[in-house]
Amino acid sequence: MATTQSTNSEEAPITPKKSSMLLDPNEYNKSDNAANSHQRNDSSYSRNFSLIDMYGEEAASSPTGPDSNDHGSTSDEQLDYQMLQSLDEFSFGEISTDHNVSQQTITQIRDTPTPQPPQHDEDDDDEDRLEIRQQYVIPTSMGNETKILNSPFDRYGFRKSSTHHGFTLEEYNDWFKEYSEYSYRRKKKWELLMKSHGLPIQEDDPVPTRFPPKSDKVKKMIRKGIPPEWRGNAWFFYAGGYDKLNRNAGVYHQIVENTKNIHNKDTEVIERDLHRTFPDNIYFNESIDANGNTLTVPLHSKETPLIKSLRRVLIAFAHYQPQIGYCQSLNFLAGLLLLFMEEERAFWMLVILTERIIPKVHSADLEGVHTDQGVLMLCVKEYIPQLWSILGTTFEGERLSDDQILSKLPPVTLVTSSWFMSLFVGIMPTETTLRIWDILWCEGSKTVFRFSLTILKLCLDNPEFDGAKHSPGGEADQIELFQFVQNFPKKILDCSNLVDLCFKKIGGYGFGSLSQDEINKCREFVSKQREMMNYKRRLSTKMTSEERYTLMNSSDGQLDGNNDIHDVYGFHRPIMGGVVWNRSISNKMKKTFAKRNSSRSST
Amino acid sequence: MSAPATSRFAQFKLVLLGESAVGKSSIVHRFVKNTFDELRESTIGAAFLTQTITIPETDTTIKFEIWDTAGQERYKSLAPMYYRNANAALCVYDITSRVSFNRAQDWIKELRKQAPEGIVIALVGNKSDLSDNREVELSEVEEYVEQYNSEATGGGSTIIIAECSAKTGDGVLEVFNRIGRALPVEEAINAAGGRARQAGGRRAGGVDLNRPRAQAQQGGSCC
Repeated sequence: MATTQSTNSEEAPITPKKSSMLLDPNEYNKSDNAANSHQRNDSSYSRNFSLIDMYGEEAASSPTGPDSNDHGSTSDEQLDYQMLQSLDEFSFGEISTDHNVSQQTITQIRDTPTPQPPQHDEDDDDEDRLEIRQQYVIPTSMGNETKILNSPFDRYGFRKSSTHHGFTLEEYNDWFKEYSEYSYRRKKKWELLMKSHGLPIQEDDPVPTRFPPKSDKVKKMIRKGIPPEWRGNAWFFYAGGYDKLNRNAGVYHQIVENTKNIHNKDTEVIERDLHRTFPDNIYFNESIDANGNTLTVPLHSKETPLIKSLRRVLIAFAHYQPQIGYCQSLNFLAGLLLLFMEEERAFWMLVILTERIIPKVHSADLEGVHTDQGVLMLCVKEYIPQLWSILGTTFEGERLSDDQILSKLPPVTLVTSSWFMSLFVGIMPTETTLRIWDILWCEGSKTVFRFSLTILKLCLDNPEFDGAKHSPGGEADQIELFQFVQNFPKKILDCSNLVDLCFKKIGGYGFGSLSQDEINKCREFVSKQREMMNYKRRLSTKMTSEERYTLMNSSDGQLDGNNDIHDVYGFHRPIMGGVVWNRSISNKMKKTFAKRNSSRSST
Repeated sequence: MSAPATSRFAQFKLVLLGESAVGKSSIVHRFVKNTFDELRESTIGAAFLTQTITIPETDTTIKFEIWDTAGQERYKSLAPMYYRNANAALCVYDITSRVSFNRAQDWIKELRKQAPEGIVIALVGNKSDLSDNREVELSEVEEYVEQYNSEATGGGSTIIIAECSAKTGDGVLEVFNRIGRALPVEEAINAAGGRARQAGGRRAGGVDLNRPRAQAQQGGSCC
């Protein structure tokens, strides 16, 4: 208890700028319930959640919330201005940062060993919780980069390459050589940004806990990547973690205390998943030695501190959110958070994620998965029609008509569902996932849709996709397509390029124009349609076939239309609107880019 | 080594079902890539792989489309999507866990109710290398299946019973070979003459001489 107090008092003055998102009255009610929820018993495990409430939260926050000054809602004049700005940065940024690199100060280089299996006390849970948290992420500094390059593990303790990865060790190292310089330059830029906001980095405390408030500049910086060792604090800050934590002081530790010895269905599945969470990570798998060899010690003989933390967080979460309980994939979300922050914070981040960002995705009926996949498919149809013409089929390979998208989700959603459930953890290379997480915690759920669309568009643009598309018989061979879409993201090592493709209007796909408002509306639409569909289905199970026929063909207002629900959703904003609207400007820009590129490469 | 050229080719969809952590993904990886990891990440949603086998007696190449699923109970709401149009189902349990055997029985019940008629079902006990901790005897599995078959109405095919170890590789290939022999290859090839899908919603591949070659190369080191 003492530690909790002190942590809070240290951090209390740093409460971030209150946004409407954090002041949402729904939030207050929830957390009031939540504060007592550890006292719930089994009978209170009711599932009376209203979808509209859930989605309402994000929707309510967005018009005035920090998300509103989004690229998606900026006017075209602003867009042009932004283009010019990015041109400026393009021409001068690179040069000045190179200069920075040569002037690097020795003080930044902290002596950090190559990742080693952490030392820890055995068997004493309390000890683990109170001990000073080990820094798991190797800080960005020139000295460390070389060490990482020579290690079989990456900056976060993950094996760089294995049979599960879409690239070789050599490919990783080639990418890393360049990327580590980029990371270093970005960190210098962040230090300047911090200084300009009166938050200079202290030498004795190189990881800041406060960050500049959200702004266009900050958003741009975040999209280019947060310094790896700052990530935990930055995510927590931008996601509204301090607010959540301050309003629930001590709650987490109380739940942990109360759930210490409980055994139920959730804890059973959790136990089975603990050791299946990041078995390729040195901080999760005790049997990997520093050289990357897997030792043949008896399994589960020892647990790393992170496995113990993971158990506590997942059990506490299952207890705190009984309508979710434990859902496979939460282990990966919590696991990744734990590499970056202490467990109490990881717990609240998980709460923020499941309440606000991807509601109901992990709930017992996975309704949020169906809703979000419906939204994603509507987006694909609207914004990548070429791909829709390939993917928009039923399991039998027949084309889906417009009014069947939501009632018969196309089979490719079996692949894309996991992108939403695990938020790309395990789907993409670690750094790529982390770059998306940087943006996600600051910008919200639209990020998941934007990047899903980017990946799908990349699949479509890949020459190999054509091969997977056509089986020799001429009929689209679904399993080949699935395998392609499933395996393709594993190869996306070049995370900066992915981010550029997602947001850039010129030379990219411009999915930054897909606004949160659009996503919220579409989510609400889909969830309503699904509610109606499920209502009809429930009714029809108790009916004779004749009654069912009548119901399905009923045309009264509430059960409108036919069996297949109304799926035609009108998107408001064409994604490439700006560019199409002013093609001559975009052509000029492209020429300017090309010129600058060629002149740069010739020098 | 490419598979010997056969004159007949058929493609079938096979789905894996069963309690979490019984080793569904491990069985698939042993079958497709011949590898085993002591610790394998939990499967989220579904994973898709393909592998071909040849059945020399009938001179047939069979390509399995493998749909590996997440085991946790709540994923059950997605399950109908998985076993829709499936030609075969592998219901996996862990021989050291009685609970997982009960769960596999639930899956069989559900398949008999919901899955396409004529689906080939295999009830497979994994982790046979851990027989010291065995909780499920093969004899009781046989008993269960015998009783089930006698109760089953209609001419549903019998359930294939097997034990295997994804860790050592024992019995894994055999399971797939037995399923391959039980699949209605003739029917699939005949149906494929005109169109690839049958009226009953079952899907099957076509005769294509180019195909086995392409598949054999892909089977070895699937991406």
